[in-house]
Amino acid sequence: MSSTVQPPERKSGQESEQKSPFTRWLTGVAQSTDLGMLPVIAALIVIWIVFETLNANFLTPRNLSNLAAQIVVTGTLALAEIYIILLGMIDLSIGWNSVLAASVFSLATVFFHLPVGVGIALGIALATGIGFLQGMVVSRIGVPSFVVTLGGGMIAEGLTLAILTPHGGSVPLADDFTTAIGTLNLDPLWSWVLSLLLFGAYAAVTLNGIRKRTASGHEGGFAATMRLVGVAIMLFGAVFMLNAYRGVPFLLMLFLIALFASAFVTKSTRFGRHLYAVGGNAEAARRAGISVKGIQLAVFVIAGFLVGLAGYLDAARLGVASASVGNGDIMLNAVAAAVIGGTSLFGGRGSVYGALFGALVIASVSNGMNLLGAASSVRFIVEGLILLAAITIDTILRLRRMRSGRA
Amino acid sequence: MSAAIAAEPAAAPLLEVRGLQKRYGAVVALRDVNFTVRRGEVTALLGDNGAGKSTTIKAIAGVAPIDEGDILLEGQPVSIRHPSEATALGIQTVYQDLALCDNLGICANLYLGRELVSSPTAVGPHVLRDVDMELEARRVLKTLRINLPALDTPVASLSGGQRQAVAIARAVLWDSKLVIMDEPTAALGVAQTAEVLRLVRDLAEQGYGVILITHNMQNVFQVADNIAVLRLGATVMQARKSEVTPEQVVGAITGTLAIPGTGAAGALA
Repeated sequence: MSSTVQPPERKSGQESEQKSPFTRWLTGVAQSTDLGMLPVIAALIVIWIVFETLNANFLTPRNLSNLAAQIVVTGTLALAEIYIILLGMIDLSIGWNSVLAASVFSLATVFFHLPVGVGIALGIALATGIGFLQGMVVSRIGVPSFVVTLGGGMIAEGLTLAILTPHGGSVPLADDFTTAIGTLNLDPLWSWVLSLLLFGAYAAVTLNGIRKRTASGHEGGFAATMRLVGVAIMLFGAVFMLNAYRGVPFLLMLFLIALFASAFVTKSTRFGRHLYAVGGNAEAARRAGISVKGIQLAVFVIAGFLVGLAGYLDAARLGVASASVGNGDIMLNAVAAAVIGGTSLFGGRGSVYGALFGALVIASVSNGMNLLGAASSVRFIVEGLILLAAITIDTILRLRRMRSGRA
Repeated sequence: MSAAIAAEPAAAPLLEVRGLQKRYGAVVALRDVNFTVRRGEVTALLGDNGAGKSTTIKAIAGVAPIDEGDILLEGQPVSIRHPSEATALGIQTVYQDLALCDNLGICANLYLGRELVSSPTAVGPHVLRDVDMELEARRVLKTLRINLPALDTPVASLSGGQRQAVAIARAVLWDSKLVIMDEPTAALGVAQTAEVLRLVRDLAEQGYGVILITHNMQNVFQVADNIAVLRLGATVMQARKSEVTPEQVVGAITGTLAIPGTGAAGALA
C-alpha cells in the first residue's frame, strides 16, 4: 500500500545487471516523478518521533486509539475529495454536505422515529443526490467545479441551518446502533482474524502478479515485495497497538472498508483506469472513446456517497448532529489531507491511500499539539507549514515531469 | 491483433482519394485533392502551411468530413463522417500532440479505451487484466522492434522518440490497415528521428499503408515510396520518389515550378 506506482526501472543493458535490486529501486525512486506514499509516510514517522520525544504519552495504545477515531471523518472526506481532485477538479461542498446528511439522519430518527437504516439511507441518499446535481452542472454545462461546489456548499449550509436551528442548533442522537458504531470496538480476536485474512488475500494477489510477471521476464518484483513487507508492518502494528487498548474501533473499520473498496475501484477496474485517464489528459481520453462527461458525473456521485457516509460517521462519533461542526475546518482539513497524501491538484496523480496517511498527519499534529497543551494558533501554523511543504513537493515534481517530457 | 498484413500486389490501392473538396464558410480549404496510398508503402503528403494537408488528414480520419469527392478504401467507396467510422475501417491517426495520458503507464496508454477486462458478474465490476495486456503489448512491440522500458513506466518519463513510438504502436495495435502520421519527427533529436523513421519504414514493410506528413525533405527521401504535394488545396504533384528530385518537390511545394496538374515527372520547366 506504500507506493502506488512502481518506480520506473531502466533496462539499459549491463549497467542495471551489476546493481543490486535495492540500488536499482533506490535509483528509480530518486528519478521518479511520482513518489507515491513515500514522502507522506516519511513525514508521518518524523512527526511521530518528534511528538513521542516531547511527550511520552503520544505513542501509547490509548492515544493511538484516540488517533484512530480522529482520522475517520477527515479520512472519509479526504477520500471523497481525492476522487474529485484526481479529475483535476475540487469540491468545496463536502463539509456542509456531510453535516446536512447527518442533520437529515437525526431528523429522521429522532423526530420522525424512522428506523436507523432508513435514516442512514436518507442521509446518504441526499448527499449522493447533491453530488449528482453538482456533477450534472459540472459535466454537462461545463461550469468550473470550484464555483459549482462553492454554491452547492452554501445551499447545504442553509438547509442544515434550516433543519437544526429550530432544535437549538444540534440534535443529540439516541439510537443504540449509532452509539455502538461511534463508541465500540471490534473484539481483539476478531481483529486478528480479519487482518490476517485481509493480508492473506492481498499477499496472494501481489505474489500472483509477481509470479506472472517474473515468468514473462518483467522486473519490479523487488518493489512489490518491499510494499508487501511495508503493508504487513503497518497493518499488524496497528492491530497490535489498538488491541493493546480496546480493539479496533468500528468507526475505523467502516473508513477502512470505504478505503479498500476505493483502492480496488481506482486501481483495478476499467472505471478507475478511465478516471485517471480523464484526470491526466481529458482530450486524449475523449479521443480514445472514453465518455469524459460520464466519468465526471460518476465521480461526483461516488464522492457524494462518501460525503454522506462521513456525515453519519461524524454524528456517530460525536453522538450529536450539530451545525457547528461544518464550519470550514472540516472541509479544509479534508483537502489538506488529500494534498498531504500526495494527490496532485493538477489531476491524474495520487492514490486513495493518501486519504489515510494525509488524515493521519493532520490528526497526529493536532493530537500531539493538544497533548503538549499548545495553543491552537501554533497548531494552525504547523499544519499550514506541512500543507505548504506538500503542495511545494507536488509542484516541483510536476515541473520535473514537464522538463523530462521534452527531453 | 495486427500481425503483418500480407503485402500483395492487389489491383486496387489501399486508399484512393479523388477530387476532395472542403470549405469552411467562405474559405475553400480543399479544391481538388487526389492521391493514392498502396499497401506496404509510405506516401509522403507534403505542402506549405495552409496547403490543406491537415484538412485532408482530418477528412480521412473522420474528424472533419469532406463536402465533395470520393474516398475509396480497397477499391470500395466509403463514407467517413466520424472518427469511430475511420477506426472501424482500419484507419488510425497519430496526431502531432500524440494524445497520450502522461500519468498512465505505457501499457495503459496502448490499451486506453479498449482495456482487456474480466467481469465476475454480468454487470461488473470490470476488472483490468493487466498482466494479459502487458504480455500481448510486449508481443506486438517486439514485432515492431520497439524497445521500451518496463511497461508500467509512466509515459511522462519517456523521451520524445519513445512517446512517439508508444503512439504509433497504439495506432497499429488494433487491426488497422492505414496509419496516418502528422509530423512524427517534428520535435525530435537526430537519433530519435532516425528511430522513428525506422519504425515508419518497418510499418510499411509489414504491409501497412502509411501516410506521412512532414516538412523535412530529407526524411521524405529517406522513407517515402510515393510523394504527393498539395498547394492551395489541390494536388500539384503525385510521383514515385525515384522519379523526382528534392529540388522538384520543393518547387512544387513553393509553386516556383508552375505545375498545372499531376504527373510532375516531366514537368520540369
